[in-house]
Amino acid sequence: MARLPWPARALARGVLLMAAASIVIFLCTAALPGDAADVLGGGRAAPGELARLRAEQGLDRPPHVRYLDWLTDVLSGDPGVSLITGRPIGELVAQRAGVTLALAVAALAVGVPLTAALAWAAVRGPRWLRQTANAVIVAGAALPQAVVAAALVAWLSAAWGLFPPVSMLPAGEPAWSRPDLLALPVLTLALPIAAYGAALLRGAIADVMARPYVRDAELRGLPPAAIALRYVLPMVAAPATRLLAVTLGGLVAGTAVAETLFGLAGLGELLVTAISTRDVPVVQSVALLAAAVVVAGLAAADASRPATERR
Amino acid sequence: MHTQLRRRSAAVVTAVALLAGCSGTAPGTAPATTASPSATTAAATVRYAAPGSPSNAVTDPHGLLPGESDVVRMALTYDVLTVPGADGATKPRLATEWRPDATLTKWRITIRGDATFSDGRPVKAADALFSLRRMGKKAAENFGRMAMFDLEAAKVIDDTTFELVTTKPYAEVGKALEGATFVVPEGSDDFSKPVPGSGPFRPTGKGGAQAVVYERNDDWWGPKPPAETIEVRAVPDPQARAQALLSGQVDLAGGVPATLARQQEGNSAVRLLRRPGATLYPLVMRTDTEPFDDPRVRRAVRLALDRQQLLDTVFLGYGEVGNDLITPKDPTSPATLPQRTRDLAQAKKLMAEAGLADGADLTLHTTTAYPGMDGAATLIAQQLAEIGMRVKVAVEPADTYFSAVYARKPFYVSYLGGIPFLDVARVALTPGSPTNETAWQDRTWSAGLDKALAEPDDTIRRRLLGDLQADLRDQGGYAIWALSDRLDLAKAGLSGVPEGIGFASAFIDQVSLDG
Repeated sequence: MARLPWPARALARGVLLMAAASIVIFLCTAALPGDAADVLGGGRAAPGELARLRAEQGLDRPPHVRYLDWLTDVLSGDPGVSLITGRPIGELVAQRAGVTLALAVAALAVGVPLTAALAWAAVRGPRWLRQTANAVIVAGAALPQAVVAAALVAWLSAAWGLFPPVSMLPAGEPAWSRPDLLALPVLTLALPIAAYGAALLRGAIADVMARPYVRDAELRGLPPAAIALRYVLPMVAAPATRLLAVTLGGLVAGTAVAETLFGLAGLGELLVTAISTRDVPVVQSVALLAAAVVVAGLAAADASRPATERR
Repeated sequence: MHTQLRRRSAAVVTAVALLAGCSGTAPGTAPATTASPSATTAAATVRYAAPGSPSNAVTDPHGLLPGESDVVRMALTYDVLTVPGADGATKPRLATEWRPDATLTKWRITIRGDATFSDGRPVKAADALFSLRRMGKKAAENFGRMAMFDLEAAKVIDDTTFELVTTKPYAEVGKALEGATFVVPEGSDDFSKPVPGSGPFRPTGKGGAQAVVYERNDDWWGPKPPAETIEVRAVPDPQARAQALLSGQVDLAGGVPATLARQQEGNSAVRLLRRPGATLYPLVMRTDTEPFDDPRVRRAVRLALDRQQLLDTVFLGYGEVGNDLITPKDPTSPATLPQRTRDLAQAKKLMAEAGLADGADLTLHTTTAYPGMDGAATLIAQQLAEIGMRVKVAVEPADTYFSAVYARKPFYVSYLGGIPFLDVARVALTPGSPTNETAWQDRTWSAGLDKALAEPDDTIRRRLLGDLQADLRDQGGYAIWALSDRLDLAKAGLSGVPEGIGFASAFIDQVSLDG
């Protein structure tokens, strides 16, 4: 492969990844049994009527034609309309972007420091702290979100009365105007993220800590904070950024459980509902948005690598 | 994640419910005693958390209305021709009169002359007829609600009258125009932008995906709604709806879990509203498939069910035992039939007579779309084991249940929510109907239905329709083992929630927090 300058290579790779992701997403949705016409008919429509509905919606065309049609629309800047509600997909996404953004940013603001603290405690803490941190990591990464949410509601809402048990955001106000309503959904998202992140990073941290020059620094009496900043951080920066990119992608479209349990309308709920109603263009658009965030994040991780490798 | 997906789909398939049964209450005058933590909301605003999904919030009133929240939104925005009353009888709304000719095939519908759309145009007969024709075109998405009409032959007489033509004598046109006949301005076809309505409330742009805020339409012809603003929020999770009410974030929560309802008995801050007979999960037996092609086997199944145990287990006792009547709350449903009870000896005898003394191997399909459907199937399987039926329960994915199982499998747990008898007859009980799930092909019965619908006398017709339901109860392919109450939680002091089930419950324009 000819040596292109880095930005061009990153762009080319991003485009290829996005194209691959969109095809995989389309094939997966197309492979599901039933289609949007079945959903609209509610199991009570005559076969002839269903066929007419299918033709109206273009669902009778071969998959590759439908895919290319959708792709053309997206590239021209209009992702089209939902097959179920007839509403413009751009509008559906825009209406939910604020809630999802508020949740994602807050979950990262809580989750990232917590990841660092947990990972550090699991590797460098005193014995009791190491054991506790490792237990938290295993439990947090293994528990389903619904269980985390239920535990948080039982503890912080029912028992202590700190936060409301559900989050009916006031109509027409931005999500971040009501931090009390976001608290439990944010914690529900942030705790598993932190546990999962710490599980992945603790090994990398332990590796670095075992290196001779780090042990040497320790023996020289360098304070732990200085060791963390000078030796550990540069070595884990690249895996941590990649992890961040994937986590962020998950926060864009993988928040359906928290949204449903707390009664929020965000992109995760939109994606999962669209999958269950076979609303293919909506699935495509939301999933692709999440894929774009991951791809952009990975590119950013890549871009930061030369800087970290200099050390 | 998987269960969650299923649960999400449950909200989606509410569509199929034709319309889930809704909440009901006698207008109460109890003083408001709840302290709502939300001080920002004036008493003039009523906030409703309704079953439904914000992602599926449709804007077209004539297609599929996937959730109850969708029906409620449409009923606030648009006027309908007639509405079902709390007792199931048809009441006028935009239509003031519907009169047939002597043949019962030509109907003259008169609408009010004082309704106006939100853009100032008066609502005319042409708008109403246009809306019905639009429903006719979207038959696949609205369960063929206009199937009894020849809409091509219909015509506008003047600004306030139009003529409808039915394909056969049809005495129940008032009922056919109930609930879903949302009237939009003639020519409206693009619902991706707001389309003017003439209903009691008007949608505002406020709210986005989380909730839709409605302002009172002070020009509405009907009784002035007490609330200035109604906020409708689609909340898919029943538990979340109930918690929203209990934490003071909404004033009315529709369709709450029975477990939670039971915990609230004795809580003076909230009121539990029960709507009897809102939901049933019929057991469907296909009458053209072995072993159910033998009427004795169907009777044996009906006799083998322990209805009380099913009611207590599946609906936690919130409801009543079923008597195998498919639409027990329809005003034409026969009320005096003796209650069917469990009779294992008779059931075993019938099985033996049908040549199944050794029992039979069957698969019973069910799903998790509505709470308790899967548990009901398991319990039914256990109960049928006592007459030698070896029933395997197959739990199917909720999101394809209504396309893959309805009218395709010979033995399954179905769902009906607050639907009138003639609607069930249209979609499931006439030989040519789209989904004749029990393969009910009784010619005498079909002729009897035509005869009843051609009968101009209300009392006689009611009796004829009742007889048809009694026949179906004994001969047909359904076992109706229990009726579940629809449970709503309301803030103490909330009044004006409509009584009745099905579409009757969607018209919430008279709700009030003033108590």
